[in-house]
Amino acid sequence: MTSPPVFEVRNVSFAYDNKQTALENVDLTVRSGESLVILGANGSGKSTLLKMLDGLYFPTRGEIIAFGEPLTEARLRDDAFNFAFRRRVGLVFQDTDVQLFCASVLDEVAFAPLQLGISHGEVRERVDQSLQALRIEKLRDRAPHRLSGGEKRRVALASLLSLNPDVWLLDEPTIGLDPRSQSWLVDFILQLRGQNKTVITATHDLAFALKFATGIHVFDEGHHLAASGKPDEILANHELLHSCNLSHFHMAKEASHCH
Amino acid sequence: MRRQSHFLEKTLSGITQTLERSLFAEAISLQPGLFQSLDPRLKVLATLALLIGVSMARNPWVIGAVYLLVVCLALGSAIPADFFIRRVWLTIPLFTGMIALPALFLIPGQPLLHLPLGLIVTRTGAQSVLFLLLRVTTSLSVVLLLVLTTPWNTVLGALSVLRVPDVFILILGMTFRYIYLLLHIANDMFLSRKSRVIGRMSGSEERHMLAAIGANLLSKSLNMSSEVYLAMVSRGYRGAVVTFKPFRMRPRDWLWAALFAGITVSIIYLGR
Amino acid sequence: MTVKRLGTYYLALFVWLFTSAMHIPDGYLSPATSLIMFLLVLPFWGLGVRKIRQTMNARSVPLISLMAAFSFVIMMFNIPLPGGTTGHAVGAALAAIVLGPEVAVIAVSIALIIQAFFFGDGGILALGANCFNMAVVIPYVSSAVYQAITKGTETSSPRRLIGAALGGWLGLTAGAFFTAVEFGVQPLLFSAADGTPLYAPYPLSVSLPAMLIPHMLVASVVEGMMTALIILYLQRSNIQVLEAAGEKGGGDGGVSMGKLRWLWVGVAVLVVASPLGLLAPGTAWGEWGVEELTKLGLESIPAGLERLSTLWGAPLADYDLPALGNANMGYLLSALLGIVLVGTMVWLLTLLVTGGAGRQKESI
Repeated sequence: MTSPPVFEVRNVSFAYDNKQTALENVDLTVRSGESLVILGANGSGKSTLLKMLDGLYFPTRGEIIAFGEPLTEARLRDDAFNFAFRRRVGLVFQDTDVQLFCASVLDEVAFAPLQLGISHGEVRERVDQSLQALRIEKLRDRAPHRLSGGEKRRVALASLLSLNPDVWLLDEPTIGLDPRSQSWLVDFILQLRGQNKTVITATHDLAFALKFATGIHVFDEGHHLAASGKPDEILANHELLHSCNLSHFHMAKEASHCH
Repeated sequence: MRRQSHFLEKTLSGITQTLERSLFAEAISLQPGLFQSLDPRLKVLATLALLIGVSMARNPWVIGAVYLLVVCLALGSAIPADFFIRRVWLTIPLFTGMIALPALFLIPGQPLLHLPLGLIVTRTGAQSVLFLLLRVTTSLSVVLLLVLTTPWNTVLGALSVLRVPDVFILILGMTFRYIYLLLHIANDMFLSRKSRVIGRMSGSEERHMLAAIGANLLSKSLNMSSEVYLAMVSRGYRGAVVTFKPFRMRPRDWLWAALFAGITVSIIYLGR
Repeated sequence: MTVKRLGTYYLALFVWLFTSAMHIPDGYLSPATSLIMFLLVLPFWGLGVRKIRQTMNARSVPLISLMAAFSFVIMMFNIPLPGGTTGHAVGAALAAIVLGPEVAVIAVSIALIIQAFFFGDGGILALGANCFNMAVVIPYVSSAVYQAITKGTETSSPRRLIGAALGGWLGLTAGAFFTAVEFGVQPLLFSAADGTPLYAPYPLSVSLPAMLIPHMLVASVVEGMMTALIILYLQRSNIQVLEAAGEKGGGDGGVSMGKLRWLWVGVAVLVVASPLGLLAPGTAWGEWGVEELTKLGLESIPAGLERLSTLWGAPLADYDLPALGNANMGYLLSALLGIVLVGTMVWLLTLLVTGGAGRQKESI
C-alpha cells in the first residue's frame, strides 16, 4: 500500500550556465507523507535538486513530474498553476540571509501568504499562529539582521508555516544551529511528519538525518545518486558512506544507538 | 609609520559606528515617548512640513524658534537632551561652520567688526552665516528626531502614504536589510585582512587591498541578488508585490496633524 | 587686499577638500532650487524604471536592492591616496558600468535616499539635487566616457581600466560641477533685500573653483581609481559579471545611450575646462553671472557682487608675465600656473592638517 507520488524525478541532469555539472542522471520518487533525506557532501548537488523540486531551476535533461503534472518553466508562467504549486510546496533556503529578505519579521512571515492571494485578515491570523508555534512572538517587529542564527532559522520556518504547504523542502537546516536548537529542529520535523506533511531535507549530517528519515538518498561527489534505501540499510553500508565523503558516520552510529 | 593600515581602522570604525548608531536609534525608538506614540505617517509628513517651513523662513528668529520646538519634542520623546544637542552641534562647526566662515569677510556689506590683518566682518556676511548655520542645524535636528523615534521599517510603511509605489518600498526595505548584511561581511573581510597585516603597507598595497575587498563584495552582492530572487519566487513573488497597510490614524493623531499643519503655516507666515 | 582674498580663497578650498563628499545638507539650497532639482531628476527616474521593466523585470528588485546596498557600503570605504590624504568613492561609476546608466540612477538614488532618511547624511529636501548630482550626472558621464573609450574592446582588455578610471574621474568631477553651480546661484537668486544671502553664501566665482579643484585632485581621483581597480579584480576573478554587463553599461552597449553619449562626454570636457576659464581674467563665472542675470532683469543681485566678481577675476591677473609678448599666451600660462599653485597649496595643507583625518562628513 503506497501513497501517491508527490515528485517523480526522471533521469534528470542539470548544468549551470557556465557548463558546470550539478546533477547527472538522477532518478527518484518522493511519496506523500514521506520524510526523505538527501544525503551528500558539500557540492554534490543537493541544493540544486531542491531548487528544481521547487520549480526554481529546470532540468537540462530529463523531467520532473509534480503532483502528476510536468513541472516546467512554461507551466509555471501560468498564474493559476504557479499559485497552486507555490501554495503546496515551500523551500527553506540554506542561507537564512537569502531567505529573510524583508524589513521585519512580521513582513517576512506575511510575505508568502500575501503574495499567494490569501486575505489580509487571514494572513494576520496565520502570522500570529506561526509566530506562536515557533515561540518567536517577541521577534515580531524586529529586523532580521538583529537576530541570532537560531532565531533566523525559526523565522525562516515560520515564513513557510504561515503558508502551510504540503511539501517542505529544507536545505541544510542545521547550519548555524547549536545542539539544543538542532534537537528542537528534529522535533519540528517530526511534528510536520505527524501532520502527514512530505518533508525533504538536504543535509551532510547523517546523525541528524537518522533521527527522522523514513528514507535516504545518497549523492556522491560525481553528482550521481549513489544509493537509496531505508536508514538502516544506508547506515550499514560503510563503504558507500566512506566513498561519498560522509565522514560523520561513526558519530552517527552512536547517535542512532541513543535514539 | 603613522599611516600603517590607518585607513583600515578608519573604515572599520566608520562601519561599526553606523551599526552602533542604528542600534542606539532602535533602542530609543522602542522607549515610550511623545514622538514614538504618533502614527509614523504623521511623523513623516510632519518632518517634511517642518523642513519646508525651515527652508522657506526668511527670519532667523523663526528658525531659531523651530529649533527650540524640536529640542522640546526630543525631550518629550526620551531622547537625552545633551546627546541630541551635541550630536548636531558637534558636526556642524566642522562642516557648515568651516564652509561658512570665509563668508563673514567675503560677502560685501556694512563693516561690523574690524579684525587684525585688515579683515573686516560685514553685517551681511555675519547674517548669511547665521542663516546657514541655523537652517542646517534645525533641519538636521528635525530629521534626527524622526530617525531616533521611529523604527525604520515603520518609516518604510509610512512612505506608502506619500504614494510611493509598493515595489519601491520593497526595494528600499531590501536595500536597508542588505546594507547591514554587507556591512557585516565587509567588516569581517577587513578584520581578517587586518589580522594578517604585518608591518607597513604601501599606499598602493592598501588601495589594492581595498579594491579586492570591494570587488569581492560586489561579486557577493550580485550572487546574493540572484539567490534572493529565487527565494522570492519560491514564496509566490511574480513581479508585483502585496504588502500590509498596517497604520490607522486615531483621533489623537489627527489632533497632532492639525497642530503640525498650524505650526508649518505660522513658520511660513511669520518667517516671510 | 590680495592677501585677504587669497587667504579666504584657500581656506574655502581646504575646507571643501576635507568635506569632499557632495551630499548637500538641507539649508544650503532654496526651496525653489530643491524643487527644480526634483523636477530635473524625475525624467531620469522614469527612464530608469522603464528600462528595468523592459530588460530585467521581476529579477531587478533584488538586483537593484543589492547594488544600492553595495553602493552604500562602498561609500564608507576610506581610500588612501598618493600623498597621504584619504577619500571616499561614491561607487556610482561602477554601478553605471555594471548596471548601465539608466538602472544605476535608481540604485544610487536609493542609497542616497536611505542615507538621507535614516542616517541623516544629506538633506531630505536636497534629495533631488543630491540625486541629480550623484545618481544622474556621475553614471551618465562615466558611462559615456567608458563606452567611448572601450567600444569594441575585449572584456579583459586593459583599455577597460583606462575607460573606468577616466569615466569615474570625469563623472565625479561633473557631479561636483553641478553641485557647485547649485550652490553658486543661491546668492544671486535668493538674497534678502539688504543683500544677505539666505542660503549657500558664495557666488559661482567662489563655489566653482572651491568645489571643482579639490574634487579633481582628490574625490574624483578616488572614484576613478577605485572603479578601475575593482574592474581589474573583476577581470581577474569574476569576469562573468563584466560580460553580463557588456550589454548594459560598457563595450558595445551604445544602443541605450545612442547619440546622447557625446553630449555627456562634452559636458565632462566643458566641466573640466571651466576652472581654466575661472582663473583667466575676463571670463570669470561670477561676472558672467551678474551680466546675464541683469539682462534677465533679476533684481535680487547682491549690491556688492559686481565689485566682488571683478576682484575675484584672477589671483594671477597682476602677474602677467612680461617676458611673453603675447597676452593670450600669458593668460593661459598664468591660468595653468594658478592651477598648479592651488594644487600644491591644497596638497601641502592636506599634509599639514590631515594626519589622515580625511573627510568630515556632516551626519547625525
